[in-house]
Amino acid sequence: MNTPVVHLSHVRFGSDKKPVLEHLSLEVGAGHFMGIIGPNGAGKSTLLSIIAGLIKPDAGHIDLFGKCLNKRTRRKLQRDLGYLHQVQSKLPDIPLRVRDVVAMGLSSYNTSLFQGLFNDKSNEQEKITHALDLVEMTAHQTSDFRRLSGGQQQRVRLARALVRQPKLLLLDEPSAALDSRHQEKLYQLLRKLCDEQDMTVLMVEHDIAAITSYVDSVACLNKNIHYHAKKGDTIPDEVWREMYGDHVNIVAHDASCIGCAPVSHKPPHEHHHD
Amino acid sequence: MINFLEAFFTSPVMMGALFPALLIAVVTSSMSMMVLAHRLSFLTVGVSHASLAGLGIAVTLSLPLLPTAAVTAVAVALLLALMPSRQGINEDAGTGVLFAGSMALGVMLISNANSYEVDLFGLLFGNILTVSEQDTTWITWGSVFVLLALLIWAKSWWSMAFDMITAKASGIATSRLRLVLYGVIGLTVVMCVKLAGIVLTTGLMVLPAACAWFWGRSMFSLWALSLTFSIIGTLGGLMWSYQYDLPSGASIIAMLCLLFIASWLISWLKHHVFEVSHDF
Repeated sequence: MNTPVVHLSHVRFGSDKKPVLEHLSLEVGAGHFMGIIGPNGAGKSTLLSIIAGLIKPDAGHIDLFGKCLNKRTRRKLQRDLGYLHQVQSKLPDIPLRVRDVVAMGLSSYNTSLFQGLFNDKSNEQEKITHALDLVEMTAHQTSDFRRLSGGQQQRVRLARALVRQPKLLLLDEPSAALDSRHQEKLYQLLRKLCDEQDMTVLMVEHDIAAITSYVDSVACLNKNIHYHAKKGDTIPDEVWREMYGDHVNIVAHDASCIGCAPVSHKPPHEHHHD
Repeated sequence: MINFLEAFFTSPVMMGALFPALLIAVVTSSMSMMVLAHRLSFLTVGVSHASLAGLGIAVTLSLPLLPTAAVTAVAVALLLALMPSRQGINEDAGTGVLFAGSMALGVMLISNANSYEVDLFGLLFGNILTVSEQDTTWITWGSVFVLLALLIWAKSWWSMAFDMITAKASGIATSRLRLVLYGVIGLTVVMCVKLAGIVLTTGLMVLPAACAWFWGRSMFSLWALSLTFSIIGTLGGLMWSYQYDLPSGASIIAMLCLLFIASWLISWLKHHVFEVSHDF
């Protein structure tokens, strides 16, 4: 069997009384597109931060590309990784062109001058243009990043994550601020990258209905993986209830879907007409 | 005008001041980009005032002024870099505490020293005209070190300023490089003390990039503009000081302030008068 790109075993994060993640084990192979869903506070962003090497788990073992992720190997492994986090505050007021923002994702930006001297920079401009092309932002490449809309900024941030052509892409709610057309285009692009470039994608999203046609599997997370649904599977009702509580309304969805989507988190008697 | 320029460029006092002043202009213009990008203007205020403690220690123990002040300023800057993340204190408050504490220590030490040993006015407001050969040597070595640090780490610092989380996830040693950045800012601040004094140093650390911020669109263009504004401000300020017999540091800062106002005004006119505005 091929070495998995991501292998987590018995990962725990947080205090014993209030763990954010516990007994979490997960294995993702090359070229796999996985959606991660779960309620607020389920540990979705924490999980991506742990895989990205941003925070150290309190227990457990993590392998990336078949190598143990630890203090010594972290920076080397991060070179093959693209990460798009949730923007929690306004991005800084730095006057930069869109091209220069994307260039920050290049590996030459993350090495010292001496290491950078030995990097192949000949095709860096091509890589930037290609990444902008993928997110349909080529027309804005010389624009001031600060003057773009929220959705356009999100697409540029995605180009920054893609520009180094990572083997593993971690996306935390990448569709935030995107309109429905660009949301669909984003999922199509990620599917294409998985199929054609063998890229592995782990994507946190809330809207399972929007992603089911594109992903290979969906992990239902609430402190640990409650259910791992593969293509053709249906997520059982009890899994939804475990994740979102008893008040969730469950409707049957498209047959091609991985699971059933919760349409409301309110109990029926709380529904009222305006 | 030609007579004035001839007198200025043949004045031995001005010629002695020109080299260190221009060297400081090159270094501060380059570092001011990082100060603005990382929003560290208050850090430069804190560190420059903290250097008074270093000067006080140097005067009390008869140590060389500039190197002692440099060590103190770098130590304070590193302490500020470590304090917020480790002790759970707000960086802003930490700067205020260290700034006041070290300033108090400096005042106490200097007040005990013999008055003829310390040019307090020079320390507070700077006087590049009194720069000694030894000071120039220290400033030269300091400049080489700061420019070398920028050459090696500017891109990483830039990436960190834009998005710290993504920078860390892409393999940049953010914690370590943040410490180095604070230390280099501390060193740069001390180099400016001779020119602009403890009170006015922040002007040199902020104004060149602030002028360029309206026009630059990439790291290189911002740096080139910042350098141009800094050199014009320094040369203009020194000439102004020579012509009207004004303090050199204050004249340079005032000239940079004028350049900032002009830059802001032209940028405002460009966006609000010459382009169609959709604002209400």
